[in-house]
Amino acid sequence: MAIKIALTKGRVEEQVVPLLEASGIDCSGIRNKGRRLIFDEDPVYETILVKGPDVLTYLNNGSVHLGIVGSDILEEQNNTQYAMLDLGVGRCRFVLASTSQFDPQQVRRKIIATKYPNITKRYFQSIGEDVEIIRIEGSVELAPLIGLADAIVDITETGTTLRENNLHVYAELQPVSTKLVVNRLAVKQYQTEIRTLISNLKNAQTKLGVNA
Amino acid sequence: MIKNRNLPSGTRDEFGPRAAVKETISAQLMAIFKRRGFAKLTTPILEYADVFKPLNLDNYRPYQLLDEQGEALVLRPDLTLPVARMMSTTGVELPAKWYYSGDVFRVKKQLSGSYNQLTQAGIELVGYGSLKGEWECLTIALAGCSATGVDEMTLELSDARFVNTVLAALPVSETTDSALKQALFDKDLTTYNHIAQLMADTDFGSFLEEWPWLFGDFDTVMAVVQRLPKIPKLQPVIDDLIATNAFINRLAPNQKVVLDLSIPSPQQYYTGMAFRGYTQNASDYLFSGGRYDDLLTSFQQVKEPAVGLAFDVDALADRAPTPSSPPQTLIYFQPSQWQAAEAKLAATPNSTLCLADSLGEAQRIAVSTNKQLLDLTKAGA
Repeated sequence: MAIKIALTKGRVEEQVVPLLEASGIDCSGIRNKGRRLIFDEDPVYETILVKGPDVLTYLNNGSVHLGIVGSDILEEQNNTQYAMLDLGVGRCRFVLASTSQFDPQQVRRKIIATKYPNITKRYFQSIGEDVEIIRIEGSVELAPLIGLADAIVDITETGTTLRENNLHVYAELQPVSTKLVVNRLAVKQYQTEIRTLISNLKNAQTKLGVNA
Repeated sequence: MIKNRNLPSGTRDEFGPRAAVKETISAQLMAIFKRRGFAKLTTPILEYADVFKPLNLDNYRPYQLLDEQGEALVLRPDLTLPVARMMSTTGVELPAKWYYSGDVFRVKKQLSGSYNQLTQAGIELVGYGSLKGEWECLTIALAGCSATGVDEMTLELSDARFVNTVLAALPVSETTDSALKQALFDKDLTTYNHIAQLMADTDFGSFLEEWPWLFGDFDTVMAVVQRLPKIPKLQPVIDDLIATNAFINRLAPNQKVVLDLSIPSPQQYYTGMAFRGYTQNASDYLFSGGRYDDLLTSFQQVKEPAVGLAFDVDALADRAPTPSSPPQTLIYFQPSQWQAAEAKLAATPNSTLCLADSLGEAQRIAVSTNKQLLDLTKAGA
């Protein structure tokens, strides 16, 4: 039986495919995918392309054995599977950002807009604050500009989008990167294969100059 | 008319083949427990929330409600702690052998395809401190799998004492110890290797390199354990595991046994050996159990040895083949023939009374449900 991988489609997929190829996995199907979602070109690994938040749904259910997904999603979803390897790609950072009028010391309960309510809650808990969280699905930068929220918690790679919207970083939260996640039972059922894959991925990182 | 006819999230109705399979599996397990002289124990589905305080609630989030005095009640998320509560309050004489069967309730992530009501069947041995307790559980685990048609099950042994004993012997601070433990348990290799690197040049170096992968074939894992410098407290743990592996080899020579010395124990209160079973294609363990001599200390001053085992009846049912029963016989009769019909029912295996009022209706039911019709109203039937 093939070992099934759920790979986050989009940017993660673009950054990870070279690593998978350098590890000896046939990704020719993913490179020329058209509208396909299932790729079985490789004799050992069957890859499916899914949205990031769905990776853990497949993995927790045991429908796939491995997942490749950003640590932002793992933390937001309180992942309990094994995040065994930092793939060293997709690096960015969570930040607290807002307009220049924002006063972090303001004496009232702050309103924070975010796509990541759990991470936001945990951050403010860790600094002893309680905030009101508004969940936003996209273009989070808008919220402080339009007056929906005092500030946002979001991920940023270079800060360009923030700067273009006149937002400043008020605090740097945890870093984010792409992880290889393994189902807790699958690691036992496919120990040899998974160990080989991890070792191949590490070699591929060295070869491609990706720092974990 | 009732408008909301939906099931609450995470629940399901069970009927037809699925219900039949689960009932059969439960009955097969109960028969083993009874045959080996265990006594039945039924505890209520509702308990005070406090009973489950010893549980790590990450995976056992219970449904909560309040009783008349405003005290928090839960639908039980576990069946072992109620046994401990019962033992500590009723003065039942020790040692005791209990078996139970029932449902546990755990609130899982909504809309994720997981079920919140699960059926378990298991045993608790209270008051037995020696390896004989573990071996009785393992014997039952193997018998249960074989009775319910599980072939090619992998039996996994582990021990709650191993990780902490090795960590205590490492030449590093307690903070480093607990960081290493966390990374080991999460199998976060990136963090783990960073910390383990600090001890690469010590006696522990070559062992630490392998530790996150310290599971699999029993002898292979034991060979890695031999790389450790002498830790006197570890010897009894290793001896128990070796003796148990040998025991299983005698009991069931073809049974595959693996050892995992890199995982946390299933719950805080585990104090010794733990065991679980899985198949190559399963996504859940079929059974899980172990020794938890600290179990009763949450409820009483006096410590009592305890060891137990629970089968996941849903996981067993998921992998059981759908039963192919021979077609049923449908007995059609006039109300005045009830006694004759009753006699026919008793004499015909796999039969049922047809309660339809006309022969036409009886024939229609027989055809649509693929049953054989036996018509007692016909002369000579």
